[in-house]
Amino acid sequence: MNSADDFTKRVEEAIKNPKNLGELEGADAVGTVGSEDCGDMLRMWVKFKEVDGKRVIDKATFQTFGCETAIAVASLATELISGKTVEEALTMSGEDLSAPLGPLPPLKIHCAQLVEGALRSALAPSEQKVDSKNLAPTLLQQLQSPKQESKKIILGSSNEQQP
Amino acid sequence: MGELLREYPGAQRALFRAYHIGGCSSCGFSPSETLRAVCVRNENLPVDEVIDTILAGHEADQKMEISPKEVAERLQAGEQIPLIDVRSREEWDAVHIPGSIFFTQELMQQILREWPKEREFVFYCHHGFRSLDAASFFAGHGFRNAHTMTGGIDAWSVGVDPELPRYRLE
Repeated sequence: MNSADDFTKRVEEAIKNPKNLGELEGADAVGTVGSEDCGDMLRMWVKFKEVDGKRVIDKATFQTFGCETAIAVASLATELISGKTVEEALTMSGEDLSAPLGPLPPLKIHCAQLVEGALRSALAPSEQKVDSKNLAPTLLQQLQSPKQESKKIILGSSNEQQP
Repeated sequence: MGELLREYPGAQRALFRAYHIGGCSSCGFSPSETLRAVCVRNENLPVDEVIDTILAGHEADQKMEISPKEVAERLQAGEQIPLIDVRSREEWDAVHIPGSIFFTQELMQQILREWPKEREFVFYCHHGFRSLDAASFFAGHGFRNAHTMTGGIDAWSVGVDPELPRYRLE
């Protein structure tokens, strides 16, 4: 079995029984990345508890419209961060969070980053990697930008040469 | 990155298709970032490999293209290939290819969530530019058979259906 098959199998395993799926009632923090429009939205809820005078993550849950890999990584992440302090959880990269799945194919690295982003947005909302207001136009924006609304449509016949 | 996009406008499509970078606000980049910085924060992608991908972008764009003639022949032969219009509502109302579907947010959600990744579908716009971005966006989401119709509805009017009026925007 090659590594791609291996990866697919591990993702399939992970999504058969995703852990901690859905909104967490009484959550102390919520973080969202992406948007539903992009099909890449991922939201995480986190609840804390005190253990030996330390504030640690009691439970984390997630909801996503992302792909299967995002579901698999998010499910793993909610388990991995349980019992950790905010500082400890923030040291985990997308790579750490997806480690149990093995190396991610290039197209799927983004899915793990989505999970890392949602976690950061929940645990350290003031610290964001890239200022979303200062982005270069994305493919999605180009696709959704007002499509020549102000322009007038001048119909001609097919035989007529158009510029 | 701003400079890179000016020199290689297809870089955005190439980056998204191959690495899922620059598709929406969650994977976007800033014009002031360097390519190296973008690679580093995307799990340390090898910069040389990414540059090769950008340089090969034009070829990858062409692989997604399908001619109006081929689309027409395949539809005529009874193949069920969704033909999706990514122009404005006003343009759609003025003229559209019979049997095509107008692209909406709802349709996008449906494709991303429900359509099998191997399903074949074709985007078209007025001249084939916006539809190339659309096809690349879906290719970046793993849809291996997302196509763009070369020359758009304008080329369709010229080469396939002269009954369909051409138009220009002013």
